[in-house]
Amino acid sequence: MAYQLYRNTTLGNSLQESLDELIQTQQITPQLALQVLLQFDKAINTALANRVRNRVNFKGSLNTYRFCDNVWTFVLNDVEFREVTDLVKVDKVKIVACDGKNQVNDYFSHSSLIIRPSQ
Amino acid sequence: MHNNNLKLHLQYSTIVTCNKQPAGWANMETSGRIATTPDALDFTVENVEKGLHQLYYDPNIENKNLAQKWLMQAQVSPQAWQFCWALLSPDKVPEIQYFGASALHTKISRYWSDIPSDQYETLKTQLFSQIACFSSGSKMVLTRLCVALASLALNTMPEVWPGAVPEMVRVFQEEGGGVDGRARCLALLELLTVLPEEFQTSRMPQYRKGQVRGALGREWGSVCPLLQQLLRQGDSPGAVKARVLRCLSSWVLLDVPLSESEGLVEDCFTALPDPELFDTAVEAIVNAISQPDSQRYVNTLLKLVPQVLSLQEQLREAVQNGDMETSHGICRIAVALGENHSRALLEQVAHWQGFLALVNMIMFCTGIPGHYPVNETTSSLTLTFWYTLQDDIMSFDCERQAVYLQVYRPVYFQLVDVLLHKAQFPSDQEYASWSSDEKEQFRIYRVDISDTLMYVYEMLGAELLSNLYEKLGRILTNTEQASSWQHTEALLYGFQSIAETIDVNYSDVIPGLIGLLLRININNVQLADTVMFTIGALAEWLADHPVMLSSVLPLVLQALGNPDLSISSVSTLKKICRECKYDLPPYASNIVAVSREVLSKQIHKTSQCMWLMQALGFLLSALHVEEILRNLHSLITPYIQQLEKLADETPNPSNKLAIIHILGLLSNLFTTLDISKQEDESGESTAPPVKTAPLPPGPNPVVVVLQQVFALIQTVLSKWLNDSQVVEAVCAIFEKSVKTLLHDFAPMVSQLSEMLGQMYSTIPQASALDLTRQMVHIFARETDHFPPIKALFELVTSVTLSIFQQGPRDHPDIVDSFMQLQAQALKRKPDLFLSESLDVKAVFHCGLLSLKFPEAPTVKSTCLFFTELLPRCSDVPPVARVVQENGKLLLQAVLEAIGGGSSRSLMEQFAEVLFSLNKHCFPLLTVWLKEALQAQGFPSTRVTTEQKDTFTQQILRERVNKRRMKDIVKEFTLVCRGLHGTEYAAEYCL
Repeated sequence: MAYQLYRNTTLGNSLQESLDELIQTQQITPQLALQVLLQFDKAINTALANRVRNRVNFKGSLNTYRFCDNVWTFVLNDVEFREVTDLVKVDKVKIVACDGKNQVNDYFSHSSLIIRPSQ
Repeated sequence: MHNNNLKLHLQYSTIVTCNKQPAGWANMETSGRIATTPDALDFTVENVEKGLHQLYYDPNIENKNLAQKWLMQAQVSPQAWQFCWALLSPDKVPEIQYFGASALHTKISRYWSDIPSDQYETLKTQLFSQIACFSSGSKMVLTRLCVALASLALNTMPEVWPGAVPEMVRVFQEEGGGVDGRARCLALLELLTVLPEEFQTSRMPQYRKGQVRGALGREWGSVCPLLQQLLRQGDSPGAVKARVLRCLSSWVLLDVPLSESEGLVEDCFTALPDPELFDTAVEAIVNAISQPDSQRYVNTLLKLVPQVLSLQEQLREAVQNGDMETSHGICRIAVALGENHSRALLEQVAHWQGFLALVNMIMFCTGIPGHYPVNETTSSLTLTFWYTLQDDIMSFDCERQAVYLQVYRPVYFQLVDVLLHKAQFPSDQEYASWSSDEKEQFRIYRVDISDTLMYVYEMLGAELLSNLYEKLGRILTNTEQASSWQHTEALLYGFQSIAETIDVNYSDVIPGLIGLLLRININNVQLADTVMFTIGALAEWLADHPVMLSSVLPLVLQALGNPDLSISSVSTLKKICRECKYDLPPYASNIVAVSREVLSKQIHKTSQCMWLMQALGFLLSALHVEEILRNLHSLITPYIQQLEKLADETPNPSNKLAIIHILGLLSNLFTTLDISKQEDESGESTAPPVKTAPLPPGPNPVVVVLQQVFALIQTVLSKWLNDSQVVEAVCAIFEKSVKTLLHDFAPMVSQLSEMLGQMYSTIPQASALDLTRQMVHIFARETDHFPPIKALFELVTSVTLSIFQQGPRDHPDIVDSFMQLQAQALKRKPDLFLSESLDVKAVFHCGLLSLKFPEAPTVKSTCLFFTELLPRCSDVPPVARVVQENGKLLLQAVLEAIGGGSSRSLMEQFAEVLFSLNKHCFPLLTVWLKEALQAQGFPSTRVTTEQKDTFTQQILRERVNKRRMKDIVKEFTLVCRGLHGTEYAAEYCL
């Protein structure tokens, strides 16, 4: 099964909003909406693993970390993200990382990462 | 014909996987079609056949869609039990038979409870006989029927049908029905293959899933010997063997113990030399090895190692003959064993040689000859293995790790060589012949290699850098044999991969490396790019070793003049300026001069020009004020002159771009030009958001420049005021400057406030409101600056209110920025709401309108506005008055949104408003809630009065725990939307 953590992205949220609307207007059933969502999980996991090679480096001080149910969570303070030319500073960042290796037919990805600034 | 079948098959699949849709036929004009009489249309064999005909052959897409909808209804109708058998009759065409089989499967899998238990047996017998009939008929119908029987078996095992698999085997082994043995055997294998597949895709309750999985697992005892027998029989036809292998693949996914399928897996290896069976055999082996459970069977795994090693000959041959499919398949097997079981196999110390041989086999695959992706695509499969192996070795305790490292460090050094060889560019001629897609794939492959090298560095440490350095030294100093640029480039690429992310400070080879960089004969763009990026990667090291700057800067400045090296040279200069600015003053005038020249020659594209300005901003930040002014003067004077000229011209698209470009250069320069950091060089990034430290004497150079160009900017604006892009570019200059200068910007507050007010009153733009918000944030609390800020705030508020009167729907961006501004003002300086010139009631009503906008960001900002507004009831009387009089409307709007009016992702924000109402206007809320929810069907027709009462009680009780309030709102919104209790809503992760 593909990771569901990408549902909480702009793309995932927009999809869910559309599905909600379709259910409310009775154009699709909740079961079909669920199937679409599962398909989205699969597609975005594959696409991020195989089609994206952008690299961002970052450093900061590690505040907390945990490894639970195969999910790593890191909370970092004073983080600097460096892309090729840009440097972005963020006070607090939460990183959620899952093992991308054990997904079927996925030889490329080493990890799935979602990084979001904490509120 | 074959293709046709496939297409039909796919179309049919769509039908069966779609859900039932409400409402069927619309009235159609053509009288001959079955779609004309919606009510009279029964689900009969004839009508279904007509519907199918229409679905496939009607040229009108509308009719096709109608037919599809109707057929989906037919498929799930009670009549389907009757017509499906008739459709399967031998005189029908396969498309019709397929629909019959498919309807049968749908009924069995989704409407199992329709069937009385005394009819299970009849249904089973009928299915068996149909499968027997179709075993020599259409393959797609046969498969569907097998899936239907599989579904029946899953519904009845283990209690009702305990020996399902042995019975299937027995039935198909019996002679009869005029069907030959081979066809029966293939049909049985098809049935056994789809059985576990149907299990994997079926949706049954968790407890049932466990039960059935257990029952299926026990059935493996009957399946395994059958498969083994068929595979080992010398006279089994190829088609049967292929089907056996597929069947095995399907069963191993159920986690059958590897020790039990061991013999079969061995048989798969013997099937590998047969080209006809190769692919399915590879699939079966890989599936068996990759099962998570298989790591428990170490003895079996140990037996597999020599089997895999025995494939080396076949692999070498395939590589020699350029047979990519075979080499790919064998590599997959080796990698599957290595990647999934490296830990288990490493621990078998007595068999270390076998595992080392496997590692070397994978190394051969990594280094497979040819260029990726044109000559080979296999090597990329192996990269993950190297991570896994390294992780496993490094996870041993120190003592054991040391032993393993003795063996595997040399292997990893060899890996570095292999990877850098694979990362080499092909000859110029060959590379030119590649398509852009191939070039992109190669770039991606190099990034993967780069990541691997970076990781390998963790194991090999500084010795890896010395190793690379020595190699680079050798090829660059070898006078006898000229080295290829590709070789040099790859070695540098290795360096860059590591230095980019890892602190190389303790490596002693970097000075030597820089010496070597200067010796490189840069005769190629790719090589030059990599040289630049390597220097960029060393920027932090250079900050600690500034003496080396004089060696590398000339290289970078020279590259700056080459348009082919635009990205690499500009980004490298920016990195150096950012990291080493305090050591750059001696070179500043030179850097500025070169930059001025390349900018005037227009060598770089717009975005690189912007980066360059940021680099110069960093550079100038470390100079003395007079020096900054002198350099700024020489740098921007040409642009100011150009802007003066452009401001005189009549507006047209080309001078608009030029104006935006110049304004952009200034904003980017002012983004990084920050002299305040000079005083606390070592302070890192701990500067507080609002500085209190004393300022250096005299005005800030940025302010000096801004004051000088202020009049000019006003002239530009006067002509371009209604162009949002130009206004945005102007606002950006001040926004960036305010952000960097903070209180240093003070001398300009009154000037800028006046200009913003004029701008906004003429043509309102969101960017002007955003800038106003920043000014409020920084200066509203300062007595000296309060009057101009207050005037500006009141002006933009009254202008925006008039927009609301004319219809705000066209300006969601302005509304968004406006709400943010109001929220900021309430937070920073609530006194602004005491003014008589501010119509608080009107602002409140605008908020109510904005809550109903479809744009999520606007709604979020509006919720924020209300959450900031409500606490002010206690200390700002005008606010208290407005809330008291109009709060009920706010509550109604919030309830309407929760009832389904707004996106579900915004519920947390609405919960915050409710929470705030509860905390700050509790007595009123009690009354309002009661009144609002009294209305029938509000906020949704789906909620009952009891549910509304419960909701009210829950809300009123929750005055401390915001999280709990959010949960209550989320729960209630699901009920209102008809989503409560659905699996879909449970999966929703917002």
